[in-house]
Amino acid sequence: MGRKRNLSEDGGREDEEEKPMKERRVKEKQEGRESMRPSMIKNKEKRAAVHAKLKQQKKVEKRKKVKAREAAEKKALELGEEPPPKMVPRTIENTRESDETICLPDDEELFAGNDVDEFSAVLKNERSPKILITTSRYNSTRGPAFISDLISVIPNAHYYKRGTYDLKKIVQYANEKEFTSVIVVHTNRREPDALLVIGLPDGPTAHFKLSKLMLRKDIKNHGKPTSHKPELVLTNFTTRLGHRVGRMIQSLFPQDPEFRGRRVVTFHNQRDFIFFRHHRYIFETKESKQKESKGQKSKDEKNPPERTIARLQECGPRFTLKLISLQHGTFDTKGGEYEWVHKPEMDTSRRRFFL
Amino acid sequence: MPRTTTVESSGCPPLRALTFDILGLIKVVEAKGEQKEAPKVVEKWGEPDASRCVLAASLVDREFDPLLGVARKSGKIEVVSPVNGDVRASISIESQNHPGLADNSIVGLHLFKGERLGSSSRSCNLLTCTSKGQANMTYVKMSKSLEDSGGESTQTTWNVCGSGSILCSKVDADESYALFGGKGVEVNIWDLNQCAKVWSAKSPAKNSLGIFTPTWFTSATFLCKDDHRKFVAGTNSHQVRLYDISAQRRPVVSFDFRETPIKAVAEDVDGHTIYIGNGSGDLASFDIRTGQLLGSFLGKCSGSIRSIVKHPELPVIASCGLDSYLRIWDVKSRQLLSAVFLKQHLNSVVFDSKFSTREAQVPPQQQDTYEALQTEEEEEKTVKRKKASKEHSGSKKLKTKKKSKRSKGDSNDIA
Repeated sequence: MGRKRNLSEDGGREDEEEKPMKERRVKEKQEGRESMRPSMIKNKEKRAAVHAKLKQQKKVEKRKKVKAREAAEKKALELGEEPPPKMVPRTIENTRESDETICLPDDEELFAGNDVDEFSAVLKNERSPKILITTSRYNSTRGPAFISDLISVIPNAHYYKRGTYDLKKIVQYANEKEFTSVIVVHTNRREPDALLVIGLPDGPTAHFKLSKLMLRKDIKNHGKPTSHKPELVLTNFTTRLGHRVGRMIQSLFPQDPEFRGRRVVTFHNQRDFIFFRHHRYIFETKESKQKESKGQKSKDEKNPPERTIARLQECGPRFTLKLISLQHGTFDTKGGEYEWVHKPEMDTSRRRFFL
Repeated sequence: MPRTTTVESSGCPPLRALTFDILGLIKVVEAKGEQKEAPKVVEKWGEPDASRCVLAASLVDREFDPLLGVARKSGKIEVVSPVNGDVRASISIESQNHPGLADNSIVGLHLFKGERLGSSSRSCNLLTCTSKGQANMTYVKMSKSLEDSGGESTQTTWNVCGSGSILCSKVDADESYALFGGKGVEVNIWDLNQCAKVWSAKSPAKNSLGIFTPTWFTSATFLCKDDHRKFVAGTNSHQVRLYDISAQRRPVVSFDFRETPIKAVAEDVDGHTIYIGNGSGDLASFDIRTGQLLGSFLGKCSGSIRSIVKHPELPVIASCGLDSYLRIWDVKSRQLLSAVFLKQHLNSVVFDSKFSTREAQVPPQQQDTYEALQTEEEEEKTVKRKKASKEHSGSKKLKTKKKSKRSKGDSNDIA
């Protein structure tokens, strides 16, 4: 708006000093190009035109930059020098707020704590996992379908009808029958929306929000999983809390995967969302493409180089979990102590993550 | 809109706190106040072992020869020097009817400051209480080496409750009364000199719908230093109650706090402010005379609070719990002064307030037998001083009584 004010200030003297005024304005135009933004122009057509021009300029500049960088890299390679360091984009993850609870591999107390925590019996293969799956009181359509998918994912999982039992009673029953975990699938308006994982006999209770559920039959080209024990991939569970949640998930699955089955179950944590995927993989050997250059062709004709590639086929449901609370002890809403609860005052930064 | 400016933390005053965790480690956190440094873990005692999980701790906070009692999950009670972590004595409580302490763990421990059964610097008295309701007064003789200790201990045991399980026990400042309460056990007060029950609470009446909430006390504390007749108790049904022995058996004031069970209650030295921590990590201060909320302590506190302590001199409280942070708060501004991550779930915290004077005087390692005699003499002096102060406080008591009556009137007005 500075330009406008200048105009109005000088308005009184305009008729007297018209010439120098014009000159000055031209000068201003040349200098003030940097400070003038297209949003200051009031005429829409002009504004749009200027904006488009600016955008085009930026694009060209960017392309130039990329080309220059590529050229420098190529040159460095030809000369046998070190290529210039690759730029790392700034993402929310790598600019995450520093957290002193992140687990370090040389932390003795962490391992001592792991040895005695609630999951250690299962993870040390002293007990084999046995899972009870049940639902909320009302359950229809997508709920049962999701449960049947879950049963095919988790070995040794048994579905029990909820009936009208209290969850505390179910936990007691499961304890007597020597189950190691209880999973409760909570549905709302016929859509599964929460998952409650209870460790037994005195393990913690994790409450997850469940979203983006895609059942097996909705996935295109899905495979049918075999009954082999799956491999488990847990990624990005870095903090103490994440570590604990990861161990809890780990204790749902048998610790001796059957690699013949080539099944893999993935829990991937990214920005506190845990993504669940279930795949079957296959290694295939393929002849790599021959290079067109003649000199090389003559060399490699005898044994064409083979390379193995991994192919994935998704099978099983796909969903996203978000931790709402982790409660100490088994399910107890009234008298329970929480190890971690999500509170609104924690959401003051986009770069703060807890898992 | 989120706050973009950060509030200047005024830094931690010089203090020393000891924390106890589920792996049986004792960690000493110290803040050196001059440079306003953040508190740091300066020492770590013990090996990580789940059976040594600390269930209760009690500190005799004095300049000379401070003592620290630690009750372990295995049923052992250790008397430790809070200066250098040496185990001075170690005993195990014998449970009569319950072989094995599997479900009869220790819930309360108190180490006596004052003289009782002729205690000196070579011995101490402690009161323990198990979850089945066995209270136990033990006289322990200590010595420099561990081998010949533990043999000479005399115990007196009595039962505090017939059924239910004890969850909280506390000894008042004069160390002549103790209170016990728990799940299915109304709070009852015992005279420790006669081992006799003095008073027991009565459960509050049914509410307007005719629903009776079962008794389940989770924490309790005596309100004033010089008065054993008033105490505050927190219940599992997120209620905080003030009881007055001299008035009635039902609570004088009671109010609700949030939705999760009250897990820790601590009193201020001024006699009317209390600090409350609950199962979902909310910490707040209340004026108990009126039951009004003074303010909440806001921070990124996300795990259940197991223990709150007020520093005896500084306007500072410490809280710790399942989020494995030791947090130090300013009482007046209710700002978080600092948080120290201690890696395990913490069970309790105590302040060692006399450490700065102690450091200034004698390095603790050099205390040998010759000097021990001296300390004994000096201790007698301090005891004499204490007695004098007691008399002084006696005169105060009258005043507070009047005050309490007035406050009761206030509360009635409000009710």
